[in-house]
Amino acid sequence: MTAQIFLQIVASGLLMGLIYALIAVGLSLIFGLMDVVNFAHGEFMMLAMYAVFGAVVIIGIDPLMAMPLAVAALFVVGATAYLGVVQHAMRAKANIGMVQIFATFGLAVLIRGVSQFLFTSDYRNVPAERNLLGGKTIELGGVFLPLPQLVGAGISVLAFVGLWLLITRTDFGKALEATREDAGAVALVGIDKNRVFTLGWGLGASLVGLAGAILAIFYYIHPDVAAPFALIAYVTVALGGFGSVFGALVAGIMVGLAEALTATILPPALKSVGIYALYLGVLFIRPKGLFGSL
Amino acid sequence: MASQALSAPLAATTAAHDGRRRRELIAFAILLAAFAVLPHLVKDVYAQNVIVLTLMYAALSQSWNILGGYCGQISLGHALYFGTGAYATSLLYTKFGVIPWFGMIVGGVIAAAIALVLGYQLFRLAGHYFAIATIVIAEAGLLLVHNWDWAGAATGIQWPFVPDSWLTFQFGRDKLPYIYFALGLFAATWLVTFAIEGSRWGYWWRAVKDNADAAESLGVKIFKSKMAAAAVSAFFTAVGGAFYACFVQYIDPDSVMAFKFSLLMALPAVLGGIGTLWGPVVGAVILIPLMETTSSYLGGTGRGIDLIVYGLLVMVVALARPEGIVSLFSRRKAPKA
Amino acid sequence: MLSRREFAGGAAALATALSTGARAQAPQEVKIGALYPLSGASAQIGNDAKTAFETAVDIINNAHPELDLPLGKEPGLPGLGGAKIRVIYADHQGDPQKGRAEAERLITQEKVTALVGTYQSAVAATVSQTAERYGVPFLSADNSSPSLHRRGLKYFFRAAAHDEMFSAIMFDFLDSLKKKGQKVETLALFYEDTIFGTDSSNVQRKLAGERGYKLVADIKYRANSPSLTAEVQQLKAANADVLLPSSYTTDSILLVKTMGELGYKPKAILAQAAGFSEQTFVDAVGKQVENYITRGSFSLDLARKRPTVGKVNEMFKAKSGRDLNDNTAREFMALLLLAEAIDRAKSTDGAKIREALATTNIPGEKTIMPWKKVGYAETGQNNDADPVLLQYTGGKFLTIFPEQAAVAEAVWPMSKS
Repeated sequence: MTAQIFLQIVASGLLMGLIYALIAVGLSLIFGLMDVVNFAHGEFMMLAMYAVFGAVVIIGIDPLMAMPLAVAALFVVGATAYLGVVQHAMRAKANIGMVQIFATFGLAVLIRGVSQFLFTSDYRNVPAERNLLGGKTIELGGVFLPLPQLVGAGISVLAFVGLWLLITRTDFGKALEATREDAGAVALVGIDKNRVFTLGWGLGASLVGLAGAILAIFYYIHPDVAAPFALIAYVTVALGGFGSVFGALVAGIMVGLAEALTATILPPALKSVGIYALYLGVLFIRPKGLFGSL
Repeated sequence: MASQALSAPLAATTAAHDGRRRRELIAFAILLAAFAVLPHLVKDVYAQNVIVLTLMYAALSQSWNILGGYCGQISLGHALYFGTGAYATSLLYTKFGVIPWFGMIVGGVIAAAIALVLGYQLFRLAGHYFAIATIVIAEAGLLLVHNWDWAGAATGIQWPFVPDSWLTFQFGRDKLPYIYFALGLFAATWLVTFAIEGSRWGYWWRAVKDNADAAESLGVKIFKSKMAAAAVSAFFTAVGGAFYACFVQYIDPDSVMAFKFSLLMALPAVLGGIGTLWGPVVGAVILIPLMETTSSYLGGTGRGIDLIVYGLLVMVVALARPEGIVSLFSRRKAPKA
Repeated sequence: MLSRREFAGGAAALATALSTGARAQAPQEVKIGALYPLSGASAQIGNDAKTAFETAVDIINNAHPELDLPLGKEPGLPGLGGAKIRVIYADHQGDPQKGRAEAERLITQEKVTALVGTYQSAVAATVSQTAERYGVPFLSADNSSPSLHRRGLKYFFRAAAHDEMFSAIMFDFLDSLKKKGQKVETLALFYEDTIFGTDSSNVQRKLAGERGYKLVADIKYRANSPSLTAEVQQLKAANADVLLPSSYTTDSILLVKTMGELGYKPKAILAQAAGFSEQTFVDAVGKQVENYITRGSFSLDLARKRPTVGKVNEMFKAKSGRDLNDNTAREFMALLLLAEAIDRAKSTDGAKIREALATTNIPGEKTIMPWKKVGYAETGQNNDADPVLLQYTGGKFLTIFPEQAAVAEAVWPMSKS
């Protein structure tokens, strides 16, 4: 393996890893807040991809401009999912863990079905002529950095910084922190738990919405598109530690790199085995993931 | 302290308890008889196919329930054991001419051994970490089989086309043998569950759920009993997989090891009532026919209507009846017991 | 949107199924069961197939004297007193078990006289087995796995080519280029980890060995991967004279996009159809790989010689907004061939239809395909289903091989670099 090829693998793994991290962080955030694994997370991402596609085709704007739109739309989707489904699942008196898994799993199947009904099963692509970044790439010393992924990775980093500021510097962040520490006690200091949860779901969905909007620039879109990404997101979250934002970032990058490296060493068809081995290896040493406390 | 507090009411209710267990056995006998007669009343091949699948998933869910329900280890990777059974049986039969009846047992034992190794590593993981780890291990297994050339890799294993025979457990059109086998498998898993409920294991597991102190004092015993439960659960799941291979007579990695099987094994127990004796069969009887008929009669539209119905159903049942459907019946009994 | 009628139809079917009695067969109607993936990742293929079948049904059931096709002129099946064809669809979701169960349902409940399907070869394996057991003919429209016709089944038929025939013509073409003095020495295989990818690559690997080509990359990848960067990196490093991909639509699109992103311009692409012959692929990334070549069962420029081809394409396009392609053309033809055999059998009895199918003899000119003729060997395979090679040039597919069917000279290599 030449140095150039090695650099290319690291660069590609890093760029993809940052996007994986952004897909995973919303899931981790929601889990940290209220101990719920959202099995419809991938479907949220798929909806964001359709939102971008729709904005590009109907309004005629560039996918980059459509990003805020997708993020806003997903905030509504996330908040609605909480108010319409998860809130009720939380009230269950028995088997609360299973109820949440299957309520969100049912929601996932429902979203896929509705998407197929509304958008049909056709494979969609953001039209190249309205896609400023699509297919563009820059070359640095023989290493190719595709612009969509590069910009996507940059946005991902910015999103993580923003999220960190939000959690540490704002009242909402403090309420979020307090609620995750002790959801019962916050009521005493006048924080509406339900409101925090609703906003938390909106935020989590927005983050995966942002990731979906980035993917829409260079990935195809159809109702079942999210399944492989969702699996990676679950592994990333467990690897980083449920509830840890920083863990999601580190784990995402590790997963991206592990995938790229495995595909070079083993037959590419087995590249996910590298991710799984990394994950199981870490879990063996740290049963709660790299940065997990829950 | 803890054990005293637990054993005193236990002694008082022993008589009532025995009575209840006798009634459960009678109800079970009636259910078996009903299922045995059903295919003679319903001759339609499609309906009989649905009966086979319903019984198979009742058995699989019952096996899953031993680990997932009673021990509280939510496994979402049981497809690994299902696939182990299907592949062991198919490989032994097509490569070495070993009859499926033997392959079934071999598959079950291999799966149980895998479950022991995995259980040893995974039982210390907390809730969601355990669930995700089981998904990942099953996915890794799927990928490996997908790339295992000797086992047919992606091409899968086509069973040879032979005349109907009990020896090779292959029947072209006749569904009755499969219905009876699936019924037998379900009966076995039900009886094992029934026995566990009445055994020390069942008592320990209940104690752990109700009382955190008990968990401390029973630590080592609990761990061993959970290992045993994992092995039993995996064994029966693998036998179910072996049965599926005999039934379809063609397997490939995606059709026996995909994640959806792991979910389909857990779902009936969740809908019916997780950690209950009757939950899995009640859940399977409702869920499987509904899923099959919606996908058969609404799937032809190609517009995802079947998915909408299935998704709504899962969601609504999970939300409306978190304790499972069987709680509808036990609540009425509650004042008596 | 789903029309009210469709929904009502589904509900009615459900109701019929619930009321146990099987319906008596209407004498004016002959039912054929079609098994396709109508939900899940391949749902688009199934939905396109429905449109192809609807076009064929239109031609069979109504009078189309302008078309030189079997059953085109008269309305319905003259052999059965003008009976109409009706296609009953079932969703097999790409699951072999479901395929088997749905085939049984169509045969026993819907009383279909024949089956057609299934896109995925894994499903065809169980569907054909079930058809055999019930003595109902199964015509494989678009499965390309060669193993299917080698199991000694009596009720299995396939009018189109299989992977070995497809790959053989690809290598014939490479041989002809070599004779003309082109440098074609190294090949790169790129295939998905499914039956399709495995079968296709096995044949290609074997042919490459036999005909003296060197494999410089042999890459199996996981279908529907989130990224193909590492895979393309290896293709780029190998930089073979010809890249031979076997991929479905989603991965084909991702492959070409990733090639662009990593600055890899293959010298030539010779694709095993699938994704590379889909309109979605062409719309998304066709321009990026101008002059790529794909094998095909069908070619629109046949319309120059046979006006019928163009007319059928117009009918199909009116319904779907797309041109006929490799899959939809085969599906259309399959239904027509089944109906033709039923008409000749003058019966809806499975064994008689089987006999009629076995004695089929239709000249290629009476089809929309570039085939020599339709006639099934002992195995059920039509060995005269000659495939063609198509090159995507200037927004169109042009037939470039074999020579008797070619309308243009191949551009080779596809890009000068």
